[in-house]
Amino acid sequence: MATRDFTLAQREPNWVKWLVISFALGWIILVVVLPLILIFAQAFEEGGKEYLQSVFSSDTLGAFKRTAIIALIVVPLNTVFGLTAAWSIAKFDFRGKNLLLTLIDIPFSVSPVISGLVFVLLFGAQGYFGDWLFDHDIQIIFAIPGIVLATLFVTFPFVARELIPAMQAQGTEEEQAALSLGASGLQTFFKVTLPNARWALMYGILLCTARAIGEFGAVSVVSGHIRGETDTLPLHVEILYNEYNFAAAFSAATILAGFGLVSLVAKRYMEYKIRKSLAKTGV
Amino acid sequence: MSIEVKNVSKRFNKFTALDHVNLEVASGELLALLGPSGSGKTTLLRVLAGLESADEGRIFLNGEDATEDHVRERRVGFVFQHYALFRHMTIFDNIAFGLRVKEKKLRPSETEIARRVNELLELIQLNWVADRFPHQLSGGQRQRVALARALAVQPRVLLLDEPFGALDAKVRQELRTWLRRLHDELHITSVFVTHDQEEALEVSDRIVILDKGRIVQVGSPAEVYHQAISPFVYEFIGPANRIQGKLLLDAILSADHVQDARGLVGSENLVGYVRPYDFHISASPVANGGFRATLDQVRPLGQQVTLLLQVDGYEPGLRVQIPFREWQGLGLTEKSDAWVNARHIQLFAGNDLKSLESAQSWHGPGAGI
Repeated sequence: MATRDFTLAQREPNWVKWLVISFALGWIILVVVLPLILIFAQAFEEGGKEYLQSVFSSDTLGAFKRTAIIALIVVPLNTVFGLTAAWSIAKFDFRGKNLLLTLIDIPFSVSPVISGLVFVLLFGAQGYFGDWLFDHDIQIIFAIPGIVLATLFVTFPFVARELIPAMQAQGTEEEQAALSLGASGLQTFFKVTLPNARWALMYGILLCTARAIGEFGAVSVVSGHIRGETDTLPLHVEILYNEYNFAAAFSAATILAGFGLVSLVAKRYMEYKIRKSLAKTGV
Repeated sequence: MSIEVKNVSKRFNKFTALDHVNLEVASGELLALLGPSGSGKTTLLRVLAGLESADEGRIFLNGEDATEDHVRERRVGFVFQHYALFRHMTIFDNIAFGLRVKEKKLRPSETEIARRVNELLELIQLNWVADRFPHQLSGGQRQRVALARALAVQPRVLLLDEPFGALDAKVRQELRTWLRRLHDELHITSVFVTHDQEEALEVSDRIVILDKGRIVQVGSPAEVYHQAISPFVYEFIGPANRIQGKLLLDAILSADHVQDARGLVGSENLVGYVRPYDFHISASPVANGGFRATLDQVRPLGQQVTLLLQVDGYEPGLRVQIPFREWQGLGLTEKSDAWVNARHIQLFAGNDLKSLESAQSWHGPGAGI
């Protein structure tokens, strides 16, 4: 009978209900949906042909390529890191576990601009390693390696943060069972631990990728905005925008928005999968 | 295969889980480790499996020192309380797991694996679940699958950690009977942990009772039940009325059978235990003594009736159990007086209340043979 958890006593008058719902809905339309529509509207303002031209212009394609390269370097590294960190935190007890958990969260609490500045201080021309790097002809700041480092820093909590609760919820009994059945540590990891955490892992990777592609602040500081050399897609959008080239700026922005929408759908699907696999844990 | 535990100790920080434990398990035996929570029973089982390492002492499997062997080298089957089935694999794949992770030289062919798995599914009477996932099965079915999975690799020893602890009463009862029958069929040396004395009494060949990391008594179910060596064991193995003081003297005078009390004269710490069904209740005073009590509460439990009796000067009262037919014949009602005889009293005495191991029978005054 009672399909909802509301009792009669908790029920508000209808007008309150509609007021609250329409306020929430209106707010989302105003701050999220409208700007999103605007991006596409602006991008197509001068027609589909112009849109395709600016999306496939060498500058935009170059920025896209750099962004993709950075994501392809950063995401696998952070996936390995996330797996290691989650494994050690969820499956072992050791001193300093809470400290490690806190450290993993640092990129969440530090402004990305500060993260970028740290790398400039370390590897910039005036930085601690500046002279040494100059002597050995290694360029980090205002080059791709700097952007990779900054992105690596900003995105490293994502995979670990998603995996830790999932792995903790699983406990260690299935792994112990695998070991007692004669499986090696690696077999246990690849046949038991990883498959169990696979949706949480994918979810983490997705969030990590989305952030790696969209990161602006930290990357902006270390890139130096060298057109055609160090501008990633978000930086490229900014450059175009600052040049009053609105149509081109918004065209490039649609690539980012498109990826965002796709990952949103994927995210919902994975959340559903994670919930389902956690429900199976129940005794 | 035999198991020998020699002087094993295990501490977790300041908590001593196992305190110099010595134990031998004979080949083909079904042994129960029984004790309250925190008594070290699960730790002992995990040390045997190699899932936990002992701080001190040695473990011998089949006469060989296995103390340093890794869990995967020990070839022991381990069954967990919460089944620990691989939730992303079908039942078939779960049971096949142990065979599939063998190194290539030793790994059977897929057809051979399928044959083995089907054989085991037959054994646990679940051949129709092969393609299902663990979450689609009931608790009892899952535990049977867990057992089949452990048996697939032909372990030398089977270790079960509170295997029926997460199941409801009826399923638990069924699985107990089933496990006993399975053991009689396979004769694999098995050790299982439980905190349920009834389970231990019903299923096992021998019972090991643990308390605070030490083994307090080892014996057959009948031995530990009828010849408990300490008040702890006596109280743990079954319901009992602990009586002291004047009531104890009254009870002894009324008893058919009391454990030897001659050596106890003058002992200050003397306690007696009477099982609930070891009382005789009458509606009027009887010839051989008996003491008076007031019937406080009557709780019919099917064919048994539990009576809560109040005795003057004895706060806790007595819990007595008599057959329903006998209760009917008595014609007693709540709040009426009853006369009580103890049929059998177990005495413990001395400063540490250690048992009276060399006890002989001593017959109470009114007990004509």
